[in-house]
Amino acid sequence: MDDLLIIAVRGIGLGSIYALVGISFNVVFNASGILNFAQGNMLVLGGLFAFLVLPLAPDVTQWMIFLPLAAVALAALMAVQGGITLLPLRSSVEQHSWLITTLAASVIIGAVLLLYQGAVQQSVHSPFANFSLAGTRVPATYAASVLLALFWYVALRLFHTKLLVGLAISAIAQDMDAARAAGIRVRRLQIGAFAISGLVVGSAGFVAAPMMAIANDSGLAYVMNGFVAAVVGGLGSNLGALVGGALVGVVSMYAAFEYGGEFQNAVSLGLLVGVLMLRPQGLFGRPAARRV
Amino acid sequence: MSDTQLRLGIGLVVASILLPSLLGSAYWAHNFLIVNLFVTVAVAQNMLLADAGQVSFGHGAVFGMSAYLVGIISGLWGYDYAIGALAGVGGALALGLLFALPSLRVQGYYLGFVTLSAAVVFPEMLVAFNDITNGINGINRTVPSLTAPLFSGLSWLSFLVMALTVATLAGHAWLRTTSAGRKMRVAAVSPEAAMTLGLDPGRLRFLAFTIAALVTGLAGTLYVPVLGFVSPYAFRVDLSIYFFFCVIVGGQGQLLGPLIGAWILYLVPNALLADLANYRLLGYGIIALLIMLVFPDGVVGSIVSFSRRHRLRARIAGIGIDPVLSWAGIRPSQESGAAITVRGARKQFNSLAALGGVDLTVMAGSVHGLVGPNGSGKTTLLNVVSGFIPLTAGSVQVRDRDTTRMPAFRVARLGVGRTFQTPRVFEQMSIWENLEIGADVHSGNNNWLMEMLEPFRGEWSENNPDLLAHAQRRVLEILRTVASDADILLLDEPAAGLSAIERRDFARLIRFLRDRLGKTVLLVEHDLALVWKVADRITVLDAGRIVAEGPPDAIATDPRVRALFTGSPDA
Repeated sequence: MDDLLIIAVRGIGLGSIYALVGISFNVVFNASGILNFAQGNMLVLGGLFAFLVLPLAPDVTQWMIFLPLAAVALAALMAVQGGITLLPLRSSVEQHSWLITTLAASVIIGAVLLLYQGAVQQSVHSPFANFSLAGTRVPATYAASVLLALFWYVALRLFHTKLLVGLAISAIAQDMDAARAAGIRVRRLQIGAFAISGLVVGSAGFVAAPMMAIANDSGLAYVMNGFVAAVVGGLGSNLGALVGGALVGVVSMYAAFEYGGEFQNAVSLGLLVGVLMLRPQGLFGRPAARRV
Repeated sequence: MSDTQLRLGIGLVVASILLPSLLGSAYWAHNFLIVNLFVTVAVAQNMLLADAGQVSFGHGAVFGMSAYLVGIISGLWGYDYAIGALAGVGGALALGLLFALPSLRVQGYYLGFVTLSAAVVFPEMLVAFNDITNGINGINRTVPSLTAPLFSGLSWLSFLVMALTVATLAGHAWLRTTSAGRKMRVAAVSPEAAMTLGLDPGRLRFLAFTIAALVTGLAGTLYVPVLGFVSPYAFRVDLSIYFFFCVIVGGQGQLLGPLIGAWILYLVPNALLADLANYRLLGYGIIALLIMLVFPDGVVGSIVSFSRRHRLRARIAGIGIDPVLSWAGIRPSQESGAAITVRGARKQFNSLAALGGVDLTVMAGSVHGLVGPNGSGKTTLLNVVSGFIPLTAGSVQVRDRDTTRMPAFRVARLGVGRTFQTPRVFEQMSIWENLEIGADVHSGNNNWLMEMLEPFRGEWSENNPDLLAHAQRRVLEILRTVASDADILLLDEPAAGLSAIERRDFARLIRFLRDRLGKTVLLVEHDLALVWKVADRITVLDAGRIVAEGPPDAIATDPRVRALFTGSPDA
């Protein structure tokens, strides 16, 4: 019983990272139809930011000051990446060029990390103390990461329904041609969506840094699990990403507990294939109408 | 163009294996054995991506599966190398088919993510099952019988690698000339069009994955004697990404592309940064990104399109309707009775009823017009008959076969051909190949249409349909359907975008199909004048219901129909 509780708590904590990556996926996907393979390494960069700016034993004030800076830094970086990714789409007939450019961006970030810090894994300490929940000790980072996921879910919901810019991005998601015809500057808003996605993933990397592997080769595992979270919940649905993230986190934590840590990703892959075979639209997605 | 690339490719492979050994450079001889194995895998990846349209980021895992089985069975367990190699190919095939499984449900980036995840997980599994794989320590396995030098540094292994790489390149070129290769390319570009030709896209994807896995597996078995060692580190996700980037950098779809890509990505970092292995990944990433931004067609692709642009394009192939209509025409055995019978067809899209109980009977050997305002359910009905959309209620029969629950490709095999609002013409293939796809699915052995068109073969083989005007694309699509021997033709707005003269010609073509070829035509069209001119019977749809049905004269005077089309049909 205690084991299951620990698995659930840790799983949801870990899953909140996947949920955040999933949400940051959705932001770009809804505005452009692009899935950014570099999202995992962007998360790692958020964590690296925390490693670089925070002292060994950070206090809460420092943490509060640097959190928004991490978000903004990654937003700027992702806006640049978005601009590069969208560049060839202007003229090229190859619609899938983004599959390659975003994968290349991911490889480049990983390679730069390798050159910068070598094949090591950095760790960051949290300014908050652990607390106890239902008799188990819970690292504060888990709670902070879950809260951040909820925060971004609510904030993006408000953004997309209350603000004009958000509405315009929602319009692109509905029908890009119609949005363009209505005078919406699609390209500019799409780059904006990359930036917003950077805010999400940058803050996520900063907050979750104490429980992350900040290394050159860990980005792909995060992007993969984030994608599984988004697909399980239904690609494009942020509520789906929240639920999917928790599900992926708990299931892979159970696998780690039962069979060993090496099996976490294998189990996520199994979950992904299972969902795609049985319900490709995910839990909260709608089946797409066929166009012939 | 593809012959040149093939010859050049074979020459480069042979030279890259012979020259370093003859020149006495053991270092480069060794490296080029590895490069050629990578070229082999990249060619398979190119076929999978460009011919079959399947995105796989995971072929490093297939390669590694094969190499590791050789290592385990012949290295750890002490069996013969040949037995290990056999198991390696078997394992690669099994993993390749596992990759193919999700491709039945999802495509594109979904498949990319699944295969990428598999490539991430594969080395983790090698470590996790360390009691079988020897974990991170890897496995030593040399094969002296293959690597013993024969003369001037060359060994049996050199010739095996050469043979495999050359055979793979030549095999890819040959596949493209076969009917299976053409079908694969059609299914990749337009699964819908493939299905209307009676092709099962899922089976073609399986075929492509199987071929790719077989080739990749063979390369994997040779990896062990070349390196003498396998470790999980060698088969990390980076390797899969490397294979994919080889195809992109070289130019996807170009025969020579993967070879050039593999050379650039392997040799440039190796020659320039031999001591700085860490820079290699950065090199891959930057080269791939730059190529995508500057030469999206890849190195070979850009050279090809550059040389094409500078070639005079004097010959513009034309497909005229007149030569087609001048044929004697062979009227096949005339069927009678109903060709298509739709009973009580209802189709619900969420709360919207696209079809609200439609009955339709199309008599064999007749032209049946289906008209109605936008959104009246015409195309939905056509899709229901084709088998693209399952009915909520009701039934569909083609002749006497119930097709209500039949997938589209099975309906097509009953002789139901179909054209689309936007003609599905395949730009990457020559005009002749576009027709040949139809002939490929023809059931009989002698195809009179292709025989009649034989005089055009030379000209049409050299030109791609990007030279064709819109009306000619329509004709090409219809000819292809006729070449497939379909005797029921569903035409979806064939006259859209045609000029007045082209429309008149088109009306003659439709009559020709009925009178001289004995085809049954179900025609969805907005041009009422055209429909009234050629149709034997007309069904008028509005808001998913039938408003009127009957011969053109009777329909034209029907007040309900007149009310529907303001400015009544000028028939």
